[in-house]
Amino acid sequence: MFETIVDGFLDPSRQLFINLKSRVNISRRHNEHPAESNLVPQPKTSNITFPGSNAQEAWRFSVLVRILELVHGCLVDNVIMTKRDIYYRHPDLFVKQSVVDRYVDDLACTFGVSRSLLNVAATAKGLIAGNFSLRRQDGSVVYGLSEKDGILVPQVRQEDSLDLTPVKWVLVIEKEATFRSLISSTRWASLGAQGLVLTAKGYPDLASRKFLRHVADEIPHIPMFAFVDFDPDGIAIMSTYKHGSYRLAHESVAHKDTPGLRLPELRWLGVQSHHLNRVPVGESVAATAALPDAQGLMRLTARDRRKAQQMLEWNLCAEGGPEPEWRAELQRMLMLNIKAEMQILDEQAGGLVSWLGNELDVMQGSGTGSTSTSAVATIDSDDEMLF
Amino acid sequence: MSKQYLTLHTLTSAHPTDIFALAPTPTSLLSASGSSSILIHSTTAPDFPLVQTLSNVHTLGIHHLVTAKDARRAASAGFEGKVKIWSEGEDGVWKQDGEISDDGMKAGDVWAIALSADGSYLASSSINGKVHVWSLNESGMPKIREYETKGSFGLSVALSQDGRFTASGHENGSIYVFNNDTGRLAHSLAGLVHPVRSVAFSPASKLLAAGGDARVVALYDVGSGEQVANLTGHGGWVLSLDWSDTGEYLLSGSHDSKAKIWRIETRTCVATHSHGEKPLWAAKWLPKNTRSEMFALGGGNSNISVYREAAG
Repeated sequence: MFETIVDGFLDPSRQLFINLKSRVNISRRHNEHPAESNLVPQPKTSNITFPGSNAQEAWRFSVLVRILELVHGCLVDNVIMTKRDIYYRHPDLFVKQSVVDRYVDDLACTFGVSRSLLNVAATAKGLIAGNFSLRRQDGSVVYGLSEKDGILVPQVRQEDSLDLTPVKWVLVIEKEATFRSLISSTRWASLGAQGLVLTAKGYPDLASRKFLRHVADEIPHIPMFAFVDFDPDGIAIMSTYKHGSYRLAHESVAHKDTPGLRLPELRWLGVQSHHLNRVPVGESVAATAALPDAQGLMRLTARDRRKAQQMLEWNLCAEGGPEPEWRAELQRMLMLNIKAEMQILDEQAGGLVSWLGNELDVMQGSGTGSTSTSAVATIDSDDEMLF
Repeated sequence: MSKQYLTLHTLTSAHPTDIFALAPTPTSLLSASGSSSILIHSTTAPDFPLVQTLSNVHTLGIHHLVTAKDARRAASAGFEGKVKIWSEGEDGVWKQDGEISDDGMKAGDVWAIALSADGSYLASSSINGKVHVWSLNESGMPKIREYETKGSFGLSVALSQDGRFTASGHENGSIYVFNNDTGRLAHSLAGLVHPVRSVAFSPASKLLAAGGDARVVALYDVGSGEQVANLTGHGGWVLSLDWSDTGEYLLSGSHDSKAKIWRIETRTCVATHSHGEKPLWAAKWLPKNTRSEMFALGGGNSNISVYREAAG
């Protein structure tokens, strides 16, 4: 790439440009080859020239060249830089963090490699807690239960060894608040001894997804669950963990030794529509008729309805597609025009943590008796059959 | 006094997913679900055989399906935002004969739908609260009425059998009755505060029943706009309402999977039936013919069950 730029300098008759591939504006919808839904979408290609047709393009060119230079430096010196570091080198040039995030991903996409191969890491956003330990090459050890507030998702390098022996289940939680109320609860002492919880605070970052993929490769027989809001974003977040992000598809491609970043074994623990009316309302008690409904049920916004409809157009949610339960739940949301946050399960006897603990106990009860082969076999089964 | 209804037949796993709508004709039962097809089962043969499948009608699933009481016409509404009009030929085969469309119509511009008894008009509600009436026998199926409300999502809509009134039930609990002759609001009813998920006119168009998250079924006098009764007993949200041919009974279906039959004269519940453990999206009487009174239930368990009145 630098070569073409240099050529541009040397030969005044040639244009100075960067040929960039991007997946930023690609969505799951309107895939023209539904049968090939597992294929990675083709990136869009554009040329960014200098001085360019306008000031905007000149700026984009400068941003790209500066990022390329920094990445080049990292690769030459074999150091790892975070996206945040890059931004702070030239906050006035990059204007905002998302600019750096976008162009770093575009560059990785252009070179057809995963971002970590450019030695650029995201600042870890995810939090994790659980009974695991990570032994670094230098002898230092990270314990998953060392901090009572959880620890930042660590980066696992090839030479590190990750000990997950006590872990019987993995739980991915959409929101930090729920993660915190779980690990600060009294039940965490017993739950945490045999599990691992992670939150990426919304849509997951690569560091969290990579860590989970690492865990799944390490202990493939243990169940992994997702606990997300009952709304279109909740399902979309679960989808990013499970099937990856379309916009960052180049990260999921198995690249020589880099494993793909999907988690097909991820199962949906909740919140699902059938959890919403677990508490039966006495039929004979006429007084309940006048009471408002359970706290925490909310109406869908216009954006939620649009998002749900767009998700129904995903190949993942198509009729006969791989996620029939997502399709059914999106339709139920639209029918009732309701959504609910995870906190709605606080209405259950004992609260949310007790509910989570019980669900996980049920899962484990069904898991301990079976051999590892049958546990593996359940991976493909429908979420609902387990409850 | 209670009444007894017996299960006559169950179509197990009729659809692969939640059944959102049932729509009867004198000889058949149409059903729609989260899948893309409309199924048509015969109600004249004892085992209710599948006689026709309208495939790939609404790719994203079908949320509403209605039939006209006295005409061989049906209408379906899909999650992608389209409304298709269907008619049954002399040979008993259903075919599409039109589509409701408007410049720039988006998903949500049409939500609930209702057909007039003669099948010539379609009423529709929308997420922005507007209520529309469409003339299906004119070329292009134009919109002929547009009623404004206060903008709350219109979850339910009904047309009276005499064609004079349109009623709509809204998410904020309001219920409106419009006069189709004058094109004006006839009544803004004392609503239910909670979302109104179903509205239905009695066969003589004298009463309007409304139900929803308040878990009651309210009866209103269409002439005066006064509330005349409150039927209590449902433990879950009321999702569907349907009057029997004579207007003697009202059938209601609830989110807690229970169906109830109410005797209007005494305003009492005379029967309760449970349809599995999933939401009961649709509860419909079958038009009364030679056999005893029958109704069909369909919902989240994807079965369709047909009940008949016990003899004696």
